This record gives sequence, C-alpha cells and structure tokens, in this order.
Amino acid sequence: MQAGIGTEHDLLLQQKKKNLNRKRVDTWLLLIPTLGIFIFFFLLPLFFLFITSFKTFDASTGIGNEWTLQNYIKFMSDPFYLGVVWRTVKIALLTTLITIIISYPVAFQISRSKGRARNYLTLLVLSPLLISMVIRCYGWVILLNNNGVVNNTLLKLGWIDQPLTLLYTELGVVIGMVHVLFPYMVLSIMGSLEKIDHSVIRASQNLGASSFRTFFSILLPLTLPGVFAGSVMVFSLSVSSFVTPAILGGPQVKVMSYLTYEQVAVMLNWPYGGAIGFLLILIATITIIAYSKILARSEKGVAIQ
Amino acid sequence: MSYLSLENVVKTFNKTEVVKKLSLEIQKGELVSFLGPSGCGKTTTLNMVAGFLEVDGGKIEVDGKPVHLLPPNKREMGMVFQNYALFPHMTVFENVAYGLKLRKVPKNEINTRVLEALEMVRLSGYEKRYPKELSGGQQQRVSLARALVIKPKVLLLDEPLSNLDAKLRQEMREEIVDIQKQVGITTIFVTHDQEEALAISDRIAVMYEGRIEQVDDPATIYNHPKTDFVSQFIGEVNHIQGKVVETYDNKKCKMHFFGNEQIVSIPSAKNSEVHFFIRPEKIQISLGVSNERNEAFQTKVERKMFLGAKTRYILRIQDKHLVADISNTVLNPSQIKEGNSVYTYWNPEDLLPSRMVR
Repeated sequence: MQAGIGTEHDLLLQQKKKNLNRKRVDTWLLLIPTLGIFIFFFLLPLFFLFITSFKTFDASTGIGNEWTLQNYIKFMSDPFYLGVVWRTVKIALLTTLITIIISYPVAFQISRSKGRARNYLTLLVLSPLLISMVIRCYGWVILLNNNGVVNNTLLKLGWIDQPLTLLYTELGVVIGMVHVLFPYMVLSIMGSLEKIDHSVIRASQNLGASSFRTFFSILLPLTLPGVFAGSVMVFSLSVSSFVTPAILGGPQVKVMSYLTYEQVAVMLNWPYGGAIGFLLILIATITIIAYSKILARSEKGVAIQ
Repeated sequence: MSYLSLENVVKTFNKTEVVKKLSLEIQKGELVSFLGPSGCGKTTTLNMVAGFLEVDGGKIEVDGKPVHLLPPNKREMGMVFQNYALFPHMTVFENVAYGLKLRKVPKNEINTRVLEALEMVRLSGYEKRYPKELSGGQQQRVSLARALVIKPKVLLLDEPLSNLDAKLRQEMREEIVDIQKQVGITTIFVTHDQEEALAISDRIAVMYEGRIEQVDDPATIYNHPKTDFVSQFIGEVNHIQGKVVETYDNKKCKMHFFGNEQIVSIPSAKNSEVHFFIRPEKIQISLGVSNERNEAFQTKVERKMFLGAKTRYILRIQDKHLVADISNTVLNPSQIKEGNSVYTYWNPEDLLPSRMVR
C-alpha cells in the first residue's frame, strides 16, 4: 500500500518535471529567430572573415590559399596604420568624455521632470536618432564649412579674422559623433538616476553637504553604473563608426572602419580588410575591459546594491 | 522660553494651503509627535523645519535664531528618514562619518565619535558592512547614529518605524526614546500610528487638514480630546446621542439614552439633542443587573471577537451598534454567547461630549 502511494507520488513528480522542462524548451524556442539571424548572418560571416584574414592576397590573382600572419604584421609595423589606430581611439574616447559631460545635466533634468514636460524632453533628446545618419552629417557639413553658418557668424561678429577649419578635422568628426551618440548616454544615465531614492540626497544635505558636494559624494558614485553602460555603448559605436568620419572627416581624418572599407571595397583586399576589422574589435574590447576594471575599483557598494 | 518655535507657518501647493498658520512651541529636550492621517501636513511641516521645503509664510526659530531662510545643509538638524536613506555605496562607518567629514573634524576624533555613536545604537562591529547587508532595524539604527553623531540641535524623525515589522517596531521605539532621553535632544517625531505616538511622546500635536487640533501630553489627548477629530482619530469611539430632559444650574443635565436616564455634567438647553463619543473599553456589560446600575439598558450581542487579552462585543440596540471591549480577566468571554441579551452601562464621566451636529 505504502509503496503504491510512493510510486504514484513519483509519477506525479516526474510529470511535473517534464512540464517544467517543456516550459524551458518553450522559452528557448522563442529565441530561435533572433539566434538564427545572429548565428547565420553575423557569427558565421565573422568567422569566415577571421579565417580569410590569415590568407595571402595578390592584386592579380586575388585571395591565395596559403596561411600567413603577414596581414597583421603589416598593419602593426606601419606607423601610418598605428597612427590611424591612435586617432580612432582618441576620437572615440573624446566623444565618450564629451557625451558624459553634456548628457549628465540633461539626464538629471529629465529624471526630475514629470508628465508632459518629461515626454517632450525625452523626445527632444531622441530626435538626432530620428534623422538619417547621412542627412544629419551633411547638415553638419553646411554648418561647419569654411563658408558655413558657424564661420560666417563668427566672422560677422568679428571674433575671428579667418575662417576656422572645422570640417575635415578630428574636431568636426567628434562634434558630429557627439550629436548622434549622446541620446544613448542620456537614456543610460537617466536609468540609474531614477533608481536613486530622493531621500538619500536629502540625507546628504541634512548632514551638511552642499549641492556640489552631494553631487560628487552621492549622486555621481551611485550613477556610475549608468555612466559606464552609456560609455560602453558610445565608445563602441564611435570607435567603429563609418559614415560620420567619412563625411565630416573625409580622407584627411582616416579611421579604422574607413581603412577597412578602403581595403575591402576599393582594393578588394579582403584578407587585409578582415585583419584590420579584427584588430578594431580587439582594441574596442580591450578598452572596454580596462575601463570596467578601473570603474569596478571605484564602485564598491554600488555593485552590492 | 521654548527652544524650537514655529510661528504661523504656512505652506501652499498649487494654491491650496496644506499647512495653515501653524504655531507650536517645543521645549529643549522635549519629544513632540506630529500625529495625523496622511495628507494632514505633518510631513510637510517636518520638511519645512528641515529646510527641504521653503515656508510660504511665518517663521521657524531654533534657540531664538530664525532658521527658516537657511538651506538644509546649514540648519544643523539631524534627520532619520522612513526608508533609512543610507548611502548604499558607503560602509556603515563611512555613512556615520559622512557628516563629521563635512565638518572637517580631525580623523582620530571622527574615529572615536563614530564608534561611540555605533555603540549607542548597539551596532559595534558592523562598521565595515554595507547597508544592503543589514536588516531593516539595523539600517534604521545606522540612520539614527548618522543623524546624532553630528550633535544636531534638533532631531527629526520622519515615520522612522513604519517600514519595520510589528515586533521590531515596538523594540525600536523604546530604543529611540531611551537614546533621545540619554542625549537630551529636542525631537520631532512624525507618525500616523497613534499607539506609537501615545507610547513615546512627551507631547502629541494632533494634526488635521494643515492645522494642529490639539497639543497635549498623551493622557490628556486620549482622555480629554478637545475636538471631535481628536476623539475620533485617537483610539476608537462609539457615537451616541441623547436627549436632555432636565437641566440643573446650567452645569449638569439629565439625559435620556436608549430609554435610560443619566446625569451628565455638561451645560445644555432642555430638550436639545446632544452627541457623545464613548470609547469601547469604557462600555461595560454584565449578564445580570446589579442594583446600583439602574442606568443599565439591555442590548443584544451580535458578534463576539476574541482578541487575546480582551474580547470585543458588537452590541445591538434599536438600530444602533455599540462596540465594547471587555478585558477577559473582568468577564470570562465563554459566559456570553452571540445572540444573548446583556445589560450595558457606562460611567457618565467617560462620555466625551461632541460638537458634531447631525
């Protein structure tokens, strides 16, 4: 009798387990479309490109069959290419830094506002993302031109004697990049600002801290995770961006993605283009890891929170 | 001379006055509770004292000096928040030391004062923990230590116990009073829990719709409420009405309640209807009539609820319900069953006259 009940109980348990397993399978099924696209149209081509980057190339015969490290060696030993790497990283870091500085007050204001004002402000922040990348860049060309709005205004005001070269400089690229990418930073900082309990700020003031002190001792440390997430997004998007540097920087301000494009589309040297592409991924990854390591040291309690 | 004084303080939100010309004098070392339902302006008033809200009229003085124009960081007030408001990225030690560091206190003095403060709230040894590693009660104690370590002029407690569970709440409130008396600090305690206010306050300011209805010590508030709101808000009340049948010297009158006569000492005109409140624990019942209680009338027990130390009886007379709480040591609840008829009576002194007009 006792045994009978036992087996019945076991059966029930098994049934339950089966159901649970099926549920798990169901949720995985939902991921198939995304996973499919990700694997077949991103990971696989990336993998083939990676293999190709170790192949030889000849202008007359095309991609060879021998294995070689020559593509990587060529890139790493050429001061011109290393200069491009440095410029790419510099532009990306500068863009990230400037977006942090200009996004924080915006995020703070939006997170403090309510209702309709909040919706409009958010829409305003997101507006750069609503316009096509190319159109927006040509807009900046008109503004930053030697004969453009900015220079003309400054000349008329008598603040400068000669037009400033803004277009086809690193500064021009950074300006264009900051414009596109700052919404990501604003949204990300907003996310962590909203998690902060307002009474924590009051507590700080109550204990005698000025607003300035409260910002640096309480608000900023508590929003570092948001600043970090935003920085990762902005940095990786700007380090690999192509359209903005191509239009606002032109051939004078070559960045790595532009080099890759040149090799692949103009020279048809796929192995070398692939090698440059992979070095770009490597550099971005290393920078982000280094950044997160530095941040983790200063965070402490935030992680526990 | 009072230590903390509020004089005709006004606060307006969107043209509605939420605090209406509120005045209050608090003595040095006194613990005064602001008690009232939500929306009565008690937290708003506290925030004005702390400086988080500007006053729209009137003034606030501490030790004879006006403070209502100072920013919160210049007011030297310690505040304990409902949700603790500890800095999550700092350890317990750093949290408590924060206010001292801002005051540029030398490092070794910070060390001793923080450790002293933590000892006072019985949290020695927790210095290196982060707030998230502490229980709610412990977090609130850190918050108290953090507020007191800067030796503030006034301690402000904003519903500090409402996030704790019942048992801990009782423990913590005793601890808070102990510490408050030990430090001798002038304290405002905001709460919506009347039991809490009655238990710990030197005086209670009962607030309603932006006004203070009554400020008195707990016993006076409970036994001699000055307004209808206070009688109904503090403790529970039965609402009854009687008719004046005869008056004596304009001081006492004979009243009719449910067909019984009783002499009550209130001045009233003949034949007028008078409303009273009476607390459930002041109503007494018995199965038989005792001789001296000729004012007793009969009611029917409609429901009986066992509440541990006491039993609550819902009594019915005519179309009215009366709630009576009887201690189980006075009357064994097993003697009375639902549906029984019982004799009901009260002492005329326990009737709280109401100004209510129906």
